[in-house]
Amino acid sequence: MDTFALYNPVELMDSFDPEAPQQAYHDLGTCPFTRPEGNKVLAKRADIVEFNRHPGVRANDGVHLQLGAKEPLIPLMIDGEEQRTYRRLLDPLFSPKAVARLEPKVRQLTDQLIDGFIEEGQTELFSSFCQALPTTVFVELLGLPQADLPLFLRFKDAVVRPEGETREEQLAFSEREGQVMRDYLNRVFDAREAGGDPGEDLIGGFLTAEVDGRTLTRSEIINIVYLLVIAGLDTVAASLSCMLGWLARNPEQRAELVADPSLMPSAVEELLRFESPVMYGSRYVSEDFAVGEWQFTAGEWVDVMWASANVDPEAFEDPLTVDLRRKRNAQIVFATGPHRCLGSNLARMELATALDQFHRRIPEYSITEGQQPQYYNVGVRLAAYLPVSFTPGEKSA
Amino acid sequence: MSAPNEEAVGTTQRLEVDSDRCAGHGRCFSLEPDLFDSDDAGYSVVRHEVVPAELVANAENAVANCPEAAISLRSVG
Repeated sequence: MDTFALYNPVELMDSFDPEAPQQAYHDLGTCPFTRPEGNKVLAKRADIVEFNRHPGVRANDGVHLQLGAKEPLIPLMIDGEEQRTYRRLLDPLFSPKAVARLEPKVRQLTDQLIDGFIEEGQTELFSSFCQALPTTVFVELLGLPQADLPLFLRFKDAVVRPEGETREEQLAFSEREGQVMRDYLNRVFDAREAGGDPGEDLIGGFLTAEVDGRTLTRSEIINIVYLLVIAGLDTVAASLSCMLGWLARNPEQRAELVADPSLMPSAVEELLRFESPVMYGSRYVSEDFAVGEWQFTAGEWVDVMWASANVDPEAFEDPLTVDLRRKRNAQIVFATGPHRCLGSNLARMELATALDQFHRRIPEYSITEGQQPQYYNVGVRLAAYLPVSFTPGEKSA
Repeated sequence: MSAPNEEAVGTTQRLEVDSDRCAGHGRCFSLEPDLFDSDDAGYSVVRHEVVPAELVANAENAVANCPEAAISLRSVG
């Protein structure tokens, strides 16, 4: 049994449409479902929220590490009191107030990227914009040189979508690339320590932060940054591509949003709900317990389907319709419980700022005639090829 | 004289956040900043335990948008 291969539970179903998988996620929620390998698949929103907050639910069993990790990644693969201790340290660095300080920088980087293609009247948005923006922001946030950006892109692609024919080859590949990243980060810390100044950026924050009266060790910080690179680069790029893809194909709703930017916060929540770029998470059961009609047994793995929960008709009115003004939207694309996405506030700010600035510069855009966007729905949903056309504009500077 | 909202008007509404359930999504204080603040880590802090009558609908909105079902609003006397 291979519990950990990247896959999408919904692709086991007959009706899966890569461009619009929402109906399939919805249908998955209508009956209790178990994967052929034996994993239960939780799809109802209320069940998921109760399951995730149960103390017997863990993000990892401490043995099956993913993402090329050599030890459990902090805080994603840690549980219980130890996890809460790390979150107390990390949460303030990613609070809404902390990330709001980065907004002007995100707007400026958005403008720079748009300058790269606005005169052309068309572009492939995933590579020219969606992928470039969060990566640039992230390197800025860490306080590392932009020249090192390709190294981060290579690393996250290697661990999220590892090369290799077999699972063993893929693991070896991501471990090798993971070591390249650890070596790089070790050199970064050597330089900081030699310079004597921890710095005002996120790495400086890690170097000076205290948890339970002690500072973090270098290996802990490298561990944290390692996960941040994976989490911060891939998911925001994917989310941005899904949102721009949807808006490119739905001109009426886009026009409403462009005309009234105050809709942006609810629009971002709604498109996160509908597109659910991170469609599921894995959880490990460490003791026997029941939630709703489900009985869980110690030692089993469960797939928790955020994407199905987000189109659960018991939780959302008319869940398969996008309503950018939706008032009741308790979507859970950032997970629930103690492992709620640490970077959710950063992601929301980046997405809202990028879309807002994009619409100021390019208010009308559509899928380039004769071309098809390409969506992938394994691991993280994204529009990996997103050709759009628009009226050419002028550079900002 | 008919008063369709008599019950709501006549009772006090108490707003609470279950700190065991709150996971720091930040939906409440971004949607309803008059009722909620955030602590340094980005977790919810209730500004008004007794909800002013004119903010009851706002409190209900926060309840409906909490991903963890951590917010409760109940009538007390």
